[in-house]
Amino acid sequence: MFLRLVADSFTRRPRRKVLTAAALSLGMAVVTAALSVSLDVGDRLASEFRSLGANLLVTPQADSLPLEIGGVDYRTVSAGAYLPEADLPKLKTIFWHNNIIAFAPVLEVSAMFPNMTISKYGSPNRSIPAMQIPLIGTWAEKHLQLSDGGTFVTGIAKTNPWFHVEGKWFSEERHLERIEVAPTGHTYLPGTPECVVGEKLASRRNLQVGESVVVSAPKVQSPQNMQSCDITGILSSGGPEDDALLMPLREVQELVNKPGQYRKLYVSALTKPEDDFARRDPKTMKADEFERWSCSPYVSSIAFSIQEVLPGTDVRVIRRVAEGEGTILTRVRALLWMVTLAALLAAALAVGASSAASVIERRTEIGLMKALGAGSGTVGFLLAAEQLLLAFVGGGIGYSLGIILARLVGQKIFGVAPAPSLLVLVAVLVLAAGVTLLGSALPLRRASRYEPAPILRGE
Amino acid sequence: MSAPGSGNRAMFWRIVRRLLGANRGRLFVILLALGAGAAVTAALLNLQVDAKRRIAAQFRTLGGNVLITPHQANADAPQALEVKTLDASLFDKIPGRNRNSDGRVAKAALLYGIGNVSVSDSHSAPGSSIPVVFVGYRSTAHNLNDIFPSADGADPERRPNIAYVGPPVPVLPTWCDIGEQLATKLRVRPEQWLEVRVNGSSLLCNVNKVRHSGGAEDSQIFLPLPAAQYLLDEPGRASMIALNVPGNPANIVQFISDLRQITPDAEIQPVRQFTEGEAKIYGRISGLLSATVVVVLLLTGLCVMAAMTNVAMERRNDVGLMKAIGGATRRVLRLFLAEAALLGLAGGAIGAAAGIFLSIWLGKQVFGVATQPRLIVYPVAVALTMIVAILSAYPLRHLASVRPASIFRGEA
Repeated sequence: MFLRLVADSFTRRPRRKVLTAAALSLGMAVVTAALSVSLDVGDRLASEFRSLGANLLVTPQADSLPLEIGGVDYRTVSAGAYLPEADLPKLKTIFWHNNIIAFAPVLEVSAMFPNMTISKYGSPNRSIPAMQIPLIGTWAEKHLQLSDGGTFVTGIAKTNPWFHVEGKWFSEERHLERIEVAPTGHTYLPGTPECVVGEKLASRRNLQVGESVVVSAPKVQSPQNMQSCDITGILSSGGPEDDALLMPLREVQELVNKPGQYRKLYVSALTKPEDDFARRDPKTMKADEFERWSCSPYVSSIAFSIQEVLPGTDVRVIRRVAEGEGTILTRVRALLWMVTLAALLAAALAVGASSAASVIERRTEIGLMKALGAGSGTVGFLLAAEQLLLAFVGGGIGYSLGIILARLVGQKIFGVAPAPSLLVLVAVLVLAAGVTLLGSALPLRRASRYEPAPILRGE
Repeated sequence: MSAPGSGNRAMFWRIVRRLLGANRGRLFVILLALGAGAAVTAALLNLQVDAKRRIAAQFRTLGGNVLITPHQANADAPQALEVKTLDASLFDKIPGRNRNSDGRVAKAALLYGIGNVSVSDSHSAPGSSIPVVFVGYRSTAHNLNDIFPSADGADPERRPNIAYVGPPVPVLPTWCDIGEQLATKLRVRPEQWLEVRVNGSSLLCNVNKVRHSGGAEDSQIFLPLPAAQYLLDEPGRASMIALNVPGNPANIVQFISDLRQITPDAEIQPVRQFTEGEAKIYGRISGLLSATVVVVLLLTGLCVMAAMTNVAMERRNDVGLMKAIGGATRRVLRLFLAEAALLGLAGGAIGAAAGIFLSIWLGKQVFGVATQPRLIVYPVAVALTMIVAILSAYPLRHLASVRPASIFRGEA
């Protein structure tokens, strides 16, 4: 009988039920869309912030202080400590390896452009005076072999996304050139390395893509202290790199006779904004606190785990990037949560109002039921069951609508749609049920005090 | 029927009044739905404009974003690594505000040099000296954090009168800030004395504080600009002027092009690492805000509409009765439209006021500063609510086809 009453209520006036369900679904669609976007936005924005570049800097622990002015290190090659390049794949073995977006080792030296250039046809042109330049050895887009067999593409093009190269980045390996050996056949020998030249330096020396330059490291004891390279691109960085020559790390290592070594490493990692807990010194933490700290992707805990796999290093947080990111991210997240909350509230009120209205209009029916001997509890239970059914149907439809909406918004803004989350579905259904019940509770309580007689008389 | 006279109009309003007062519970429900919609509308509209401005202001924490450097010498200059300087008085010519956005422009004139530093203690022999980069600076409000953000908050109150007891020095002792790496290396703490030597000149400085920036500044020593000028024998010169220009990306570009006209003989460049990243992130955030606001407003409107429609449906009985006693369809519709408009006005007026307070509170929670209430938002929110309320009365159109007889027979 109970079920029949409920079913009857739905079939008797389907249009009204459809309207109430529509209000519910629309409200829940807002909630779903807002929740999905808010849950997802932190990760999305965190990766957007990586366009600010590296947030961690790794240097040798026992280093002499860098004498860096305008991005140029004035130390001689012999001064200061170096780090082994061979250790770098270990970075992708740390607990937070998925959070490490990119890294790039850098070996900076002061080099010379000798008083000659090589034209396209190989004839030396000696009319240009010699010039001291910063030479930067790094990875552009290195395919790194990892211990688990995979490859990871990383380099300065990824850590410093604001670098624009007209032409293309140099390749890490020298191309093999086919050499004809008369009269029997041919052999392959490594050709000239490639390089990228900063735009200010290029305009000062009038260099273009496709030309070759010779660079020397005069102050270094090295078997080979002169190297020519083919320019593959002109770099514009808006920073000191515009005055520099960039070459593959290996070539610079050979030039200054520091094989397999680098001086500093930039790491770009996805992090969680630091709170007061994150800023504490891990040495003062208790065991459980330390575990919680190292299981949160704070920039400081990532720095800590990098230091563990790269012994002898000093990993420092680039405050300028990390703090700025932290503040802005925290604020934006808070703002979005507030907006979501406001939307939630409005949707809840509207849905509550609509379900209240649907109870109020059924006074006559309630009166009749009571006149026929139904207790207040039975009536309340019946109406609550109806509202719950409505809530689940409306909430389910609203969830699907909201997911579509969230996809649209996510796609439009970040180019990536947020993944539908089961958590949101549960939250939406619970909210829908709660709001409809709460909305109907007030009129129901009044209904329980109704005297059937006046209602049936139409008073 | 006679032309609508004063008696008719009085009757019209009487009926409207009775319609509103007939069921107080229902009135409350409709007002609640409309008010909630109006509150969210007003709060979001108010926050929308303000939040973008405040987010742009947050980028200030990233530090200096514009550099003024000396013009590069002509193409064939032999020594690229030679440190060129510009006239430090340029500092005073740079406007302190960006006329396109609020917030002041932080400026710092910087002069870089390399010298030898050692701890100078009156009680012991001078320690070993190490080469370091020193930076002479002069900045607005004597605070470097706007240019080189560091993790140690605001500068401490500078102690001007610490007695120096030690060997006589050629210039007055001064103060300095040092980077944390240098501090560790020298094992030096605030209030100790350092000696900085360049070629023939030297000076003493009292360590004011240790800076933690994570960048190159961690191994540098910061001195007052005149002290560095004295050490390098470059009176009145600076290597560069760094600025932190507030505002959104378009504001910054505008500021730079204004600045180029004031200082034609220097090179002005945005720090691309930050300006480009900022532009990208700002674009995303403001897009996100706009999208959320539009979506929320749209759906809030629809929710209110659905709630109102539900209520409007039950007016069938009233319509039936009115038509039965001779009400023309148009007049009946006008009655209900007037009722909807009144409801919208009341709900909107209450809700929008609540919404403006909500946005003030939200602004305080998120940015620590109350949102400036914009008066234009209030009438816009009320008008929007009225439009939604009247639109929700649209299903009443169907009531025109209501046949009184079938209503009274109870054929719903």
